[in-house]
Amino acid sequence: MIAIAKADTQPSWCPGCGNYSILKVLQEVLATGAVDMTKLVLVSGIGQAAKMPHNIPVSIFNGLHGRALPAAAGIKIANCELEVAIFSGDGDMYGEGGNHFLHNLRRNIGIKLFVHNNQVYGLTKGQASPTSDIGFVTPIQTHGQKLQPINPLAIAIVEECSFVARSFSGAPEHLKQTMLAAFAHRGGMALVDILQPCVSFNHLNTFKWYKDRVRPIPADHDCHDKMKALELALRWGDEIPIGIYYKGTRKSYEADNEVLAGGTLVGNYYHQPPQGNQ
Amino acid sequence: MDISIRIAGEAGQGLAVVGNLLVGAAATAGLQVFSGKSYMSRIRGGLNWSDLRFADHHLFGLHERPHLLLALNETALEILRAQTAPDAVMLLDGKEERPQTLTIDFTGIAKQNGGSDVMGNTVAAGTIWSILGYPLDFLENFIRQWFAGRADLSGQNLACAAAGYDKGLTLPIKLTAPQPVQAPASVTTGAAMIGQAAATSGVKFASAYPMTPGTATFNWLAAAADRYGIVVEQAEDEIAAVNMICGAVFAGVPSMTTTSGGGFALMAEGLSLAGMMELPIFIVVAQRPGPATGMPTRTAQEDLKFVVNAGHGEFLRVVYAPGTHEQCFDLTRIALATAHRFQVPALMLTDQYLQDAEKNIAMPSADYAPIERGLVDGEPENYARYADRPNGVSPRAIPGHGVAVVADSDEHDEAGHLSEDFATRIRQQEKRLRKNTGLLESFIMPDVYGAGDADIALVCWGSTYGACREYVDTMNAAGAGKFAMIHFSQVWPLPGDRLKPLLERPRRLIAVEGNLTGQFQTLLREAGIHRAMTGINRFDGLPITADYLAVEVKL
Repeated sequence: MIAIAKADTQPSWCPGCGNYSILKVLQEVLATGAVDMTKLVLVSGIGQAAKMPHNIPVSIFNGLHGRALPAAAGIKIANCELEVAIFSGDGDMYGEGGNHFLHNLRRNIGIKLFVHNNQVYGLTKGQASPTSDIGFVTPIQTHGQKLQPINPLAIAIVEECSFVARSFSGAPEHLKQTMLAAFAHRGGMALVDILQPCVSFNHLNTFKWYKDRVRPIPADHDCHDKMKALELALRWGDEIPIGIYYKGTRKSYEADNEVLAGGTLVGNYYHQPPQGNQ
Repeated sequence: MDISIRIAGEAGQGLAVVGNLLVGAAATAGLQVFSGKSYMSRIRGGLNWSDLRFADHHLFGLHERPHLLLALNETALEILRAQTAPDAVMLLDGKEERPQTLTIDFTGIAKQNGGSDVMGNTVAAGTIWSILGYPLDFLENFIRQWFAGRADLSGQNLACAAAGYDKGLTLPIKLTAPQPVQAPASVTTGAAMIGQAAATSGVKFASAYPMTPGTATFNWLAAAADRYGIVVEQAEDEIAAVNMICGAVFAGVPSMTTTSGGGFALMAEGLSLAGMMELPIFIVVAQRPGPATGMPTRTAQEDLKFVVNAGHGEFLRVVYAPGTHEQCFDLTRIALATAHRFQVPALMLTDQYLQDAEKNIAMPSADYAPIERGLVDGEPENYARYADRPNGVSPRAIPGHGVAVVADSDEHDEAGHLSEDFATRIRQQEKRLRKNTGLLESFIMPDVYGAGDADIALVCWGSTYGACREYVDTMNAAGAGKFAMIHFSQVWPLPGDRLKPLLERPRRLIAVEGNLTGQFQTLLREAGIHRAMTGINRFDGLPITADYLAVEVKL
């Protein structure tokens, strides 16, 4: 038998991949002690971004393509004392998992959702993703992408997601502060869309392309102003705002659930239900 | 001695009210009661009916031809009058006269007695109760119980029931009905028994997308959620439902979903995930005729091979198929316990007929008695979620309790991390499938009923229990031969070596199934049972009954 173990190592990304910077920033964030590692569960689906969790020594649920969100929601509901964070890509989250993205925004469940958005499919080698720009030429979209790209931030704001932000893998300090703010957020779902170059398959939206366009959101932006946030989310092209777009005021799923008000499901497993024997 | 009643009309006419009142009153009186629903996939119009059967002996199913037909409209009378027993009583609501039919203006009587239009149903219940010759007070007691705390409704309905009862006394007919036998007063459904067993066994999370006829169990769980501390979440689709319960089980709580064939088709990948991650999820598949949307409100046993084989790749599962209300309860608990003991997904096959079937039984305990989850305690050194063990069952810990728990849908090493190493693949796949030995040992042998040295045995599974049992009783009582039933309440995995002696004894085997192709026969052959069987296959969407077998089984 061929012994492949020596080659069977992490990570599996191309040199120069934005995932390295995101991983490094995540490691820095965890090194600050801001997150209780013993309570952290990293959840992912399938794709290059979805391989992130294996680099962090915590509990991991690396599930099916597109299904990180429902699995994470189940984990959070079973034990809402856990810190549940998803690392996913644009194809995994906004394409295959699009329906779950939409409906978990509605749930506003307390999950930190980090989406590595490189506007292309990496693992399957270069097809258009739901966020690919119109005109993007690929081996499949040979005449260029013609479908309107998804605007995840605008959708999240419209659906009253409680924390909506965007950052860039090429701005590590900005990404670190955004990640820390997301982890510190306690009101429900936190979406951080992380722009990231794909050096192998996206030659349109390159590192330089993003670098030239990203602009930190001005400090005087009122992140509770939904219409202003939406206006920021609709900007794409010459300028792409990065930072915290919006913070909603809805209760989180777990804070608004009558059963979870009595404690975690896992913690109460052996407890006789208060009115169980009727 | 038993008697059957059919109440028919269009959706929205409240025919369920008549059925509920009569079933409630009969159970209160101490009669043995069984009832079933037959309905079309619409909210208004069409033709729906409820079948009720009362007896002085245990009941496990329905009659095809009622002794009394209550038609709430003329269409119901036209279509169903040919499907009645000889000399059946026909009642028609309204004012139109029809041959050999008693027309009674139930709505008019309701209004004369201070009731609303819909209380014509209560009047009709009163009239039927009187035709059956039972004392009015049983019906009155049940009405008081049903409308407890709503004095106005209770009073109006009592007046309507009494008026209907009096009307019945004036009619020139009487039916000979069975006498009460102190049967239990508590009436339940298959759907409710699954729900109650899940709630008392420790299911803390249920997620599903609504789909008839699985929804009935999901509804029961939602109604009991606050009492038992269960989070019930309506998922955006079946894919979400199965992945949510995978997550919740990973985090440590027994979890389940309910669906039907089409929804289960969407869960196939999630089931495979549970196989790979070794997650003890529980899925109830309530069958209806397919393919595709098929007949959404009818019954079938067409998803057996699908459920046994669903999901890509090779992985283990256990599949149960209850045949009675008691089995719905017992097998739900067994399914959850077995799934957790072996860390495999468990599935339960019911169908529209069993989900909706009502029966009075001695209710099992409603006390909370959570199953053993089989979790490792403390903080084992060098913890590896998928460590190899002789029986294939690895130590299961849950996140947030001391050790990092790593689960991957990719092939993985003992620690749970993604691995493409060939040797690792072989070890892990063998480890997972090695659990089959234990699963086969835990197999629930089929229930053998009837003549011990039977010449003819009916081989069946799931909800056909009642029909086959009644047929066997009838044939044995008539001296038609030595008949037995071999009923499987677990249909996968099948230990062929232990089943062989059982299935070799009878001279003739008849396989009774609610599908066209004889799916269970195929599974038995796969398990090494090569005896020829006569197939009795019903696939029109209606349940198999003893009456149906009496016609279809050629001796």
